[in-house]
Amino acid sequence: MFSTILEQVVNGIVTGSIYAIVAVGMTMIFGVLRAINFAHGEYYMLGTFGAWFAIDYLGLSYEASIIVAVLSTVVVAYVVGRLVMQRMVGAPAEAGVLATLGIALVLQNTVILVFGGGYKFFAGGYIAPVEIFGFSLAQQRILILVVCILVFIGLELMVSHTRMGRSMRAVAQNVECCEVVGIDVPQVVLRTFILGAALAGLSGVLTAPVNVTVYGGMGELITFKTLPIIIMGGLGNVRGTLFAAMILGIAESLVATYIGLQYRDTVGFATLILMLMWRPYGLFSTQARF
Amino acid sequence: MTNHLPLLDIRNLSKSYGAVKAVNDVSMHIDRGEIAGLIGPNGSGKSTFFDCSTGLARPDSGIVVLDGQDITGWSLNRIAREGRMLRSFQKTVTFRALDVEENLIIAGQMFAFPSILSTFGVGKRSRQRISGLRERAHELIRMAGLWDVRHQPAGNLSGGQQKLIQFASMLMPEPKLILLDEPMAGINPKIIERVVETILYANKSLGVSFLVIEHNIDVVTSICRRVIVLDQGTKLVEGLPQDIIQDQRVREAYLGG
Amino acid sequence: MSLTQPSEQARRRDYRVPLGILLFVVALAAPFIGSRYVVHSLIIALVFMLPAHGLNLLVGYTGLLSLAQAAFFGIGAYAAGLLAVAYGTPFYVNAVFAGLVAGAVALPLGVPALRLRSTSFVMCTLGFVIIGQAISKNWISLTRGDMGLSGIPKPYFELGPLSFSISGTTGFYYLALAIGVLATLAVWAVVRSPAGRNMVAIRENETLAESLGVPTWHYKLIVFMLSAVFAGVGGSLYAHYLTVVSPLTFQMYYSTTMLIIVLGGGAGMISGTIFGSLLFVGLTEALRITPELRMIAYGLCLLVLVFWFKRGFAPVINRVWNAIGGAK
Repeated sequence: MFSTILEQVVNGIVTGSIYAIVAVGMTMIFGVLRAINFAHGEYYMLGTFGAWFAIDYLGLSYEASIIVAVLSTVVVAYVVGRLVMQRMVGAPAEAGVLATLGIALVLQNTVILVFGGGYKFFAGGYIAPVEIFGFSLAQQRILILVVCILVFIGLELMVSHTRMGRSMRAVAQNVECCEVVGIDVPQVVLRTFILGAALAGLSGVLTAPVNVTVYGGMGELITFKTLPIIIMGGLGNVRGTLFAAMILGIAESLVATYIGLQYRDTVGFATLILMLMWRPYGLFSTQARF
Repeated sequence: MTNHLPLLDIRNLSKSYGAVKAVNDVSMHIDRGEIAGLIGPNGSGKSTFFDCSTGLARPDSGIVVLDGQDITGWSLNRIAREGRMLRSFQKTVTFRALDVEENLIIAGQMFAFPSILSTFGVGKRSRQRISGLRERAHELIRMAGLWDVRHQPAGNLSGGQQKLIQFASMLMPEPKLILLDEPMAGINPKIIERVVETILYANKSLGVSFLVIEHNIDVVTSICRRVIVLDQGTKLVEGLPQDIIQDQRVREAYLGG
Repeated sequence: MSLTQPSEQARRRDYRVPLGILLFVVALAAPFIGSRYVVHSLIIALVFMLPAHGLNLLVGYTGLLSLAQAAFFGIGAYAAGLLAVAYGTPFYVNAVFAGLVAGAVALPLGVPALRLRSTSFVMCTLGFVIIGQAISKNWISLTRGDMGLSGIPKPYFELGPLSFSISGTTGFYYLALAIGVLATLAVWAVVRSPAGRNMVAIRENETLAESLGVPTWHYKLIVFMLSAVFAGVGGSLYAHYLTVVSPLTFQMYYSTTMLIIVLGGGAGMISGTIFGSLLFVGLTEALRITPELRMIAYGLCLLVLVFWFKRGFAPVINRVWNAIGGAK
C-alpha cells in the first residue's frame, strides 16, 4: 500500500515538474507585463509539435528534436512578442486577456489547419523504465525532474546574478521607475516573454514521450492547469509557483487514483475557484517577487 | 424647533496604515448650516480623515454620527444615498465621456428613485422622475453658467468647468452636507470666484453645510465660519479663521515640522 | 440658424426608418428568399445573439469582462432539455425555466466572484465554464454524462385550445426571430432605464458613481444575473434546435464567440450585438467556413480590436447610421 502511495506521489512530483516549468514562464511574464498569458499553453503545444515534426518529417533523433522544438517556439515567441506583447506594456488588464486569447486561437487553429486535427503519435524519448524504491519509473520522467531542478536553480541564479535578472525584477516592481532609470522596458518584456515561452516549449518536448499523443488542442488544457498554479502560487512569485505546481501534480495523481480519473483535470481549476471565492488574496504572497 | 445637535459629529476617530498613524484620536463636529474649513500641512491626515468619514476607508476606532444616526462603517454609496452626505475627489471629477446633463442626472438618480429595482422601470413614473431630475439639472446648469455646453462631453471642457459640473452634480441629490477636498486646486482665479459663489449660494439658499479642505487661505477666511487645524494626525486647534491664522502653533505646524 | 439651413436638411433625407422597415421585411421574408442553409445560419446567429445581448449588458454597458456566458448558456440548455424530455412542457415554459435556473445559479456564483479584481474575476468566470463541463460530464444520473441528452422534443405550444409543434427550419426561424426581437426589446428597455444610466456610470468611473450613491456592487450582481438569464434562454433555443445537449456546450469556444460578437460588433451598442451576431456567426456559418479558419479569424479580430478598434465597429456603424439619417 505504502509503495503505491509513494508511486503516486512520485508520479505527482513528475507531473508537478512539468507544470512548474510551464507555470514559471507564465508567472514571470505576468511579473513584467501584469498580463495573464492565455496563450501560454500553446507554446507548450508548439514545443511538442516542433519535436514531433522533427522526428516524423525530418527523421531527426529525439535529442535533435528537442533543439528544433525549443528553437521553433523561440521563433514564434519572438514574432508574437514583437508584434503583440511589447505593445501590452501599460495596457489595461482586459487588453491582455483579449490579445492573448486571440493569439491562442490563432496558434492553436493554425496548427490544426496545417497538420490536421487528429491525434498523432510521438515516437521518441527515453521511455525505458528504471527500478526505484520498488516501482518502475520511465527514464523520461527522471529526466523531467532533473530538468525542472536545473531550470529553477538556473532561474534563481539568473535573477540574482545577471543584469537581465535584475532588470526583470526592476520592471516587475515598478515600471515607471525603470523608464526613468534607463531600463529598456519593452526589451526586458520581450526577453522575459521569449524565455517563458521557450520554457513552456521545453516542457512540451520533454513530456511528449510520456503523453505519447499529440494534438493541436493540447495547449488549452495546459493553460487551464497553469492558470490556477500561478494564481495560487502568487502572481509573479517564482518559488510559490514551484510549490503550487508540485501540490497540483500530487493532488491530480492522488485524485486520479483514489477518486476517479475523470476528475483529474478539474482539480486545478476547482481548487482555484474555491480559493478565489473564499480567500481571494492567495495562498502565498501576491507581491511580484523573483 | 431648531435642532441644536451637530449635523456631523465625529468622535475619537483613529486610522493607521501599517505603522503610520494617519489619524490619531480626532474629534470634531459640523453644525447645521455652517461652512467649516479643515486645514493643515501635507501629511496631516486630512484626506484620510475624509476617507474614514465618508466610507472610503474603515476607521480603526471612533464613531461617525450624521444627523443623529451612527454611520460608522457604512459604505460610500450608502452614506451618499441615505445619509445625503457627499464628498468630492481631487482627481476624479466628472464622467468624462458623458455630457454635462447626463452627469447631473446620474448624480440625482439614486436620490429620486427609492430602490435599485425601481431604477429598472421604463414606465410613466420612471419617466416623470427623470424629467423632474432633468428640470433640476437645468436649473443647476444655468446657475453654474454651463448652459451653452450642456450637451458637450464633460471631458471636452476645461478643468474649471469640470469642477463646476462636479459641484452641480453634488447639489442634485439635495445633500445635507458636502465634504470638499481641495475644491480650488488647479483652477484659475476667475473660476475660483464662481466656485466660491456656488458654495455660498448652496449654503445660503439651499441650506447645504460644508466641510472644506483647502490650502487657499483667502478662500478659507472668506467663506469659512470656523476652521479646524490638523497636524500629524491630531487636531491642533479650532476656531475663527482670523484667530487661526494668527495662532502661533498653526504657523509652526506649517513652517516647522 | 440661417434661412438656408432648413432646406439643406430637407435635401438630405432621413433614410433610417425606411431602411429599418426594409431590413425587417427582409428578416420576415428570409425563408422565402434564401436557401435552407442560409435560414439555418440565421437561426444560429439568433441563438447566439441572446447570450451576446446579456454579455453586452455586462461588458459593454457595465464594463465587466466575463467569460462565463457559455456556462449559463449550457445550464439553460440542460434545464430546458431536461424539462422537455421529462415532462413534454411547452416551449415558453422551458425557455422561462431555463432563464430562471441560469439566473438563479448566477446569484451564488456572482456574490463571491464580484469581490475580485478584474483579472481574478475573468479567471473565475472561466472557471465556471470549466466546472460546468466537469459537472455535466460526471453527474451522469442527471445529465447522462458524455452521451448527452438526446431526443429533446420539438418546441411545443399550448395556447388555449390550440396546441402545435414547430417543426422544420422555417418554423424554427420564426420562433428564433420572435425570441430575438423580444430579447432585443428587453435589452433596450434596460439600457434606456435609469438603471442603464447607472451601469454606464459604473463603467465610466466606478468610484465616482459610488460617491454619488450608486450601489455599484449590487448593480454588478444584478447585471451578472440578468446576463445569465439571457444566456439561459438562448440555451433553451439551442437545445430545442439541436435536439441534443452535451457537455460540449460548456466550452470556452462559445464564450469566445459571444465575446467577439459583442466586442467586434460594438460593445455598448444594441445594434452592435445584432450586427455582430450576423457578421461573426451568421456569415461564417452561411459561408461554411471551417471551424479552424473561423477561430483564426476570431483570434485576429480580437487582436485588431485590442489595438485599433477599441470600441469595435461601433463608431463606424454609428457614422454610417447617422449618414443614412441625413447627418453630415
